[in-house]
Amino acid sequence: MRLPVPGHGASRGSALGRARVRLPHVLEVGEQRIEDVDAELDRLHAAIHVVRGEMRALRQRLHGVLAQDIGEFLDLHALLLDDPELLQGLDTLIRNERYSADYALRLQRDRIAGIFTGMDDAYLRSRIDDIDQVIGRIHAALHRREADAGGVAGEILVADNIAPTELLQLQAQGVMAVVTSGGSTLSHSAILARSLHLPLVVGAVQALSKINDGDVLVVDGGTGLVVREPDAADLRAHRARTREYARERKQLNRLRREPSRTLDGVDIKLWANAESREDVAEAHALGAAGVGLYRTEFLFLNSNVLPDEDAQFRAYRDLVLGMTGRTVTIRTLDVGADKADRTGLTLADEPNPALGVRGVRLSLLREPLFEAQLRAMVRASGYGPVRVLVPMVCCREEMVAVRALLARVIADLRREGHEVAESIPLGAMIEVPAAALALPGFIDLTDFLSIGTNDLVQYLLAVDRNNEQLGDLYTPLHPAVLQLLRSVIALAGRRGKPVAVCGEMAADPLFVPVLLALGLVEFSMHPGTLLEVRRAIRDCELGALRARAPALLRARDRGEIQRWLVAVAGQGRRLPAQ
Amino acid sequence: MIERELDVTNRLGLHARASARLVQVLSGFRCSATLSAKGREVNAKSIMGVMLLAAGPGTTVLLRVDGEDEAAAAAAVTELFERKFDEGS
Repeated sequence: MRLPVPGHGASRGSALGRARVRLPHVLEVGEQRIEDVDAELDRLHAAIHVVRGEMRALRQRLHGVLAQDIGEFLDLHALLLDDPELLQGLDTLIRNERYSADYALRLQRDRIAGIFTGMDDAYLRSRIDDIDQVIGRIHAALHRREADAGGVAGEILVADNIAPTELLQLQAQGVMAVVTSGGSTLSHSAILARSLHLPLVVGAVQALSKINDGDVLVVDGGTGLVVREPDAADLRAHRARTREYARERKQLNRLRREPSRTLDGVDIKLWANAESREDVAEAHALGAAGVGLYRTEFLFLNSNVLPDEDAQFRAYRDLVLGMTGRTVTIRTLDVGADKADRTGLTLADEPNPALGVRGVRLSLLREPLFEAQLRAMVRASGYGPVRVLVPMVCCREEMVAVRALLARVIADLRREGHEVAESIPLGAMIEVPAAALALPGFIDLTDFLSIGTNDLVQYLLAVDRNNEQLGDLYTPLHPAVLQLLRSVIALAGRRGKPVAVCGEMAADPLFVPVLLALGLVEFSMHPGTLLEVRRAIRDCELGALRARAPALLRARDRGEIQRWLVAVAGQGRRLPAQ
Repeated sequence: MIERELDVTNRLGLHARASARLVQVLSGFRCSATLSAKGREVNAKSIMGVMLLAAGPGTTVLLRVDGEDEAAAAAAVTELFERKFDEGS
């Protein structure tokens, strides 16, 4: 019988398919005994084998900022998955007690959790989350095999919650849409789903109680309506929506040659975050103003040998040539102890790498390394305009040191007879809250600024955005974030310094009116979302949004910020077609 | 069988990273390996086992290796402890 299950639309798109229900947790499995021990062991090991393959595939798919954020969890999880203690414990439980693989997983999890929670070390105590995730993955794989060896391809996943890492994997497996009973439209997962163009409905509170495995569902990621056993009218509506979304996509493609101009005729500069050759070609084709962020970590990661000056020079030069005269912004190395394992760098182990030796701190401690990198960038400037961007700046002293070194490198290279651009602008990433607050004291040492909202939000709110348990605590729509953004953008404006936002916030059309209201006129994002941001900009009236900025900055909580967004949608911004 | 007492002298003790290093080193050997401390003995080839030992800086652990290549394994582990797990190069 037809049953509507309402939720909130978190990522647009329409999907029709069968439900794959994932029950909340392995912890709820009750005692089960089995007859055939060998078959049960085979079943368990097949599932573990599947998970191992999934993690390997996921690891290879990661690039860009995701590789940094998520890769390290995967590495630890891969080690746990091969752990003899974990595996033998499971085998013993199945063999000796004749427990089902599911129940053995639960017992093993509870046993380990018992030991972990007894520890006095908070860091070790928290590692139980990793073990939970690994066991959860095996549990999920056990059931995937029973229902269908093809994974979730062509299906709609229904779950209590979804982690950002899972979304990537699900999309790779061909899932049609995701429906969760919890979650929020502003969570990291929702932001990621939008950038992956994967339909997502969150907060469908009845989803797990009303939907069973195999039920036919229609999901509208725009309005958030999920319908179980859709009737003829629902199917018609789905077809109409699918056509509508396809038409939107076509219209979007027509924007390839259009300017990023607001309704009241102001041109907004859209830069591309680009690493690979494909990204650069795409950025060029979409009419990006240039490369707003080139992360050099990728030359260093997954390599045991540090790339020398010449190797780096060739990479930067090719990037510059690929953009045919448009400006390229190259960020100096941004790794910390958490990623050093996968580079030729040897760094001391740190209890808290997010607050440790990383970004410019590392560069200034390893001057020969830093100098080689700057030399490579400066040499590339002979082939086209280059800007140098410094990550993790937190105080004036760091900019003084970087500027001095850059000046020396430029002088050296000129003396050595290299062709060097007349000017090489030097910029600071604003991602440490202290840098944003102390900016008046060192803005004179910068030629431009780039606000890294991913880290800024994380450091400002003290929320790890990949910690699923914190749910939607991670959000750029917090009054403190908006006020800090406003003050940085306003100061840069007064001092005539270009400023861009290069975090995921800039890549999400939802946040476009907010950033425009705060005075931003430069955005930098992955080419994959550039056209959507361009479309959102073309639907905005800059004057009207700026006039409403005081109301935005007065908002006291997320609810008020969301009401502001709804209000401006009627005024300075056309509502997206539903 | 070889037994050897080793001091955990690196700054952080047998945390996730150091544990992973130890497990990776030992995975290259065929012999069995255990670590004991504080009255508990764990499989030294298991990341979970080693983490569960929760051996902080200043702890003395007993390494026990048994098998064909035990001498080489004991030497490799001793060296790893002496290098403080390559922390702070």
